[in-house]
Amino acid sequence: MLKRALIYGKFRTNGIYGSFENGTRWSRLMSMYPPHYAEPIFKKDSQNMEKYELAKLSHVPIKAALNSSSDTIFNAELKQKMLAYIVKCGNSRLARELLTKTFEQIKRAQIERKHLVKQDNGHAICIDAEKLLIQAIENSRPLLQLSSIKRGGVKYQVPVPLTSKKSYFYAMKWILDAAKEKDRKISLSSKLAWEILDAAHGQGRVIKKKNDLHRLCENNRAYAHYRWS
Amino acid sequence: MSANLTRWLERSLHNCHATQSRTALRLFSGQQQQQQQQQQEVEEDEEFRVLNLRAVKKQVAARREIKRDPVPPPRSNRMAVDQDWTAAWPGPRSFHPASVPLPLRQGYTERGAAAPSKFANAELMKIPNFLHLTPPAIRQQCEAIKQFCTPWPKGLETEEKCKHHFPVEVVTTDFCHSLPTIRNPEARRVTVSLKLSELKFDAHAKDKFLRLVGERYNQETDVLTIVADRCPMRKQNYDYALYLLTACYHESFITEPWEETKSEADMEVYHFERNKAKLSAEAILNWNEAAGETKVAPSQGYAKSVEQLINEGENEYNIAKYKKEVLKMLNIPVAN
Amino acid sequence: MKMFRKHVGSISRISTQLQRGPPTVGSIAGLSTEAEAAPKQERVDEKITEFRTAITNPGGHSPLQIAKFYTIPAEEKKRIFGGGGLPKQYELQIKTFTEACLMVRSPALELLQYIKQADLSKPVVRYVLYGENGVGKSLTMAHVLHYGALHDFLLVHVPWAPNWMKRPKETANATGQEGFIDLPFDAAAWLVHFKTQNAQLLQKLQLKTSKDYVWSKRESTPTGSLLTELVEHGIARIKYASETIAAVISELKQLSTAGQCKVMVAIDGFNAFFHPETRIFSDNKQRVTPDRITLTQPFLNITNYDWTNGVCILSVDKIAMTEGYMESYMPRYLLGKDGFEHLDPFVPVHVDNYTDKEFTNYISYYVDRFWITKTAPDLEDQLKFMSNKNPYTLMQLVRGL
Repeated sequence: MLKRALIYGKFRTNGIYGSFENGTRWSRLMSMYPPHYAEPIFKKDSQNMEKYELAKLSHVPIKAALNSSSDTIFNAELKQKMLAYIVKCGNSRLARELLTKTFEQIKRAQIERKHLVKQDNGHAICIDAEKLLIQAIENSRPLLQLSSIKRGGVKYQVPVPLTSKKSYFYAMKWILDAAKEKDRKISLSSKLAWEILDAAHGQGRVIKKKNDLHRLCENNRAYAHYRWS
Repeated sequence: MSANLTRWLERSLHNCHATQSRTALRLFSGQQQQQQQQQQEVEEDEEFRVLNLRAVKKQVAARREIKRDPVPPPRSNRMAVDQDWTAAWPGPRSFHPASVPLPLRQGYTERGAAAPSKFANAELMKIPNFLHLTPPAIRQQCEAIKQFCTPWPKGLETEEKCKHHFPVEVVTTDFCHSLPTIRNPEARRVTVSLKLSELKFDAHAKDKFLRLVGERYNQETDVLTIVADRCPMRKQNYDYALYLLTACYHESFITEPWEETKSEADMEVYHFERNKAKLSAEAILNWNEAAGETKVAPSQGYAKSVEQLINEGENEYNIAKYKKEVLKMLNIPVAN
Repeated sequence: MKMFRKHVGSISRISTQLQRGPPTVGSIAGLSTEAEAAPKQERVDEKITEFRTAITNPGGHSPLQIAKFYTIPAEEKKRIFGGGGLPKQYELQIKTFTEACLMVRSPALELLQYIKQADLSKPVVRYVLYGENGVGKSLTMAHVLHYGALHDFLLVHVPWAPNWMKRPKETANATGQEGFIDLPFDAAAWLVHFKTQNAQLLQKLQLKTSKDYVWSKRESTPTGSLLTELVEHGIARIKYASETIAAVISELKQLSTAGQCKVMVAIDGFNAFFHPETRIFSDNKQRVTPDRITLTQPFLNITNYDWTNGVCILSVDKIAMTEGYMESYMPRYLLGKDGFEHLDPFVPVHVDNYTDKEFTNYISYYVDRFWITKTAPDLEDQLKFMSNKNPYTLMQLVRGL
């Protein structure tokens, strides 16, 4: 089990949301496609890169590309995922607008900062909101989680390693929850921008929450063996 | 009960006969014979009648042989090549293979196989045929009715000439009607249609006429259609429709005194001359001119472009033209 | 918004501290920009000559400068557009980019050429800007306005006329005219705007009023007093602001006809004056038509052709109308019959979407201002396709990139 945890730890560096084409994506149990169907490669640059592999694919049936998978500059996988978490009541149009405004405000804030510190090193400041979002999510991903396990009539809070997918989920959920905890007059976009900027710089409530969880796990590491015994 | 009664009656009758015969026989036979007779009688009486539920098979009469004449070869085989076809097939009739000397085939088969022949071919019988309307048949009939016809009027050879000489088109409909009365109420309806370009108008009369007829006039096809159905008889309706047409036409040439008060809002098209556009253009062109001097009138091109812009509706072309004319009129040098 | 600015301020403060402190884990300090920093700077410098022009005076713009950006100096921008005139989104962009840049585009150049070559002794020519939503009518007007401000035109500028019809700050029954509606606050705001725009020129010209204006028993403006005094009075006595506007405008007409000054009238959303109805309710709870608002009359008066020594730049806009009246962007449709008759003959000037060159330059400008940081080989094509080269759509698309 420890080994498994280690493996998960290793996995984390790749990231499950990395790409469709290297096949690390979880396949659904109730898929409409038989397992030998290949994933579609919808990104143009990756089509060019894997010319020799394309020859291999020429006789393999390929799944239809998803509606959301398009090769545009507006499309990024983690961004889409975040968007899906923001959506309420199926109003994805509003969610998209909110995230766009968030990005706009991040950019405005960063550009303002860039102009402030232009004299010494203005180039160090990243303005790309999408990169900042990814950085914020990566920064706030938890490693471990506490799960209550009953042994001998007593419940123990046992630290359990998280899967890569779940850790991404928690990171995004925490960021969004932190953004939703706000005054009624502030719009979600501005608060979200703030939280993302904070998390991207390794500060803020989300990072604190993650660290708190890690500390709790560390404190309870004596119970770790309850996971398997 | 009645059945028993009849049975008893029958038997008594039987006995009666028997006694009679017995008396006759008594002369020849002795006591013994009489006894025997009696015994036999008893036996006959006691016979058990079988209830026959199934009908007893009677002797089946041999079915009568239907004598059929042998099928003669089709009549078409005997037809002469130069026969008079109109006599062989004089009227409308469903297809009959033996009467048609043509190697017809019709119907669906599998690929490659020939279509079924004309004999016993329902496909051929189902479809209407025009074998009675061959050109010779028609020619023949035309010849026959020729004596009742008058020659086609000269000068009406083509459709256009007809339209030109008879611009009014009257449409009525006759109906087959299966009721005690043979009059269909719809038959009274008369539709009179006319191309408006056939009538001669001046500008005022045309405007007034169009206002009078209202929606009976179709602007796209330029056709005026009057439908009359308010009278019970067709003749009356026809008269009424023509009266209406005539009355409207002549009425449109009359100018009533109140028509002079027609305001700009009532105009059907925009006229530059009547509008403020002309006044303002004149005022701008004659800016700072003394009162006595001759006034400069706005150019014809400008007037036309304004009218076009408003009457045809706005589009890039019209507005570009308007802009060009305005720049020309206001004497502004055009860019580039 | 204020809240947000506060937030942003605090963020920047935090992060500046961060930058000075030791690098934390997961800091974005080294996110790829550092490596290519030096060559990028050089490239940007090269590009400046490509899409910028050093001529900041719109009078010097010629077709050579087409599709190039020129910078409006900060103080001029504040003077001319302090009370409005630039779209809100554009103001935000100016704030973020720390410079007020306008692209030199052909409709503005066309207008400038007309104005330069105009015979000012003739009655005023009315130029009407029209075009689809978001093609840059207001910015074209801003460009011309900048020219006017630099070339001794007195500016009579209404930044967005529909504001008066759609969201007035306060309404009151007019005192002078029966059945009319007064917008005292909006009128005063316009007077302030007029004053800030023309303060220097009014000082220089020393224009005088031609007749007595009696506001009430005690207040009056005598003949021969300065125009600035009239304006000041209107600002001070908000109740008479609308009447003051009428007075100022009729004075301006007379003065310019007399040749004492040149006047540039610029009204954005001019068709709002001819809209069938407004959102203002009268005493008997019925919607008021725009011609029943006291502010309408002076601006209709000054857009008439009966004066000289001036130019009128008007824009007709779909957004100035309300639902049901927004089918077409064409001037005759938007102005209606009355509006057309009022303006006719006018010079329609079509503002269109970006040309290819303008589009490319705009993208390079965005890249230069760090507004686009993505680098994709077909970025420009994608944006071109998505926005149809419409300036506003492009702005909306790019903001979330």
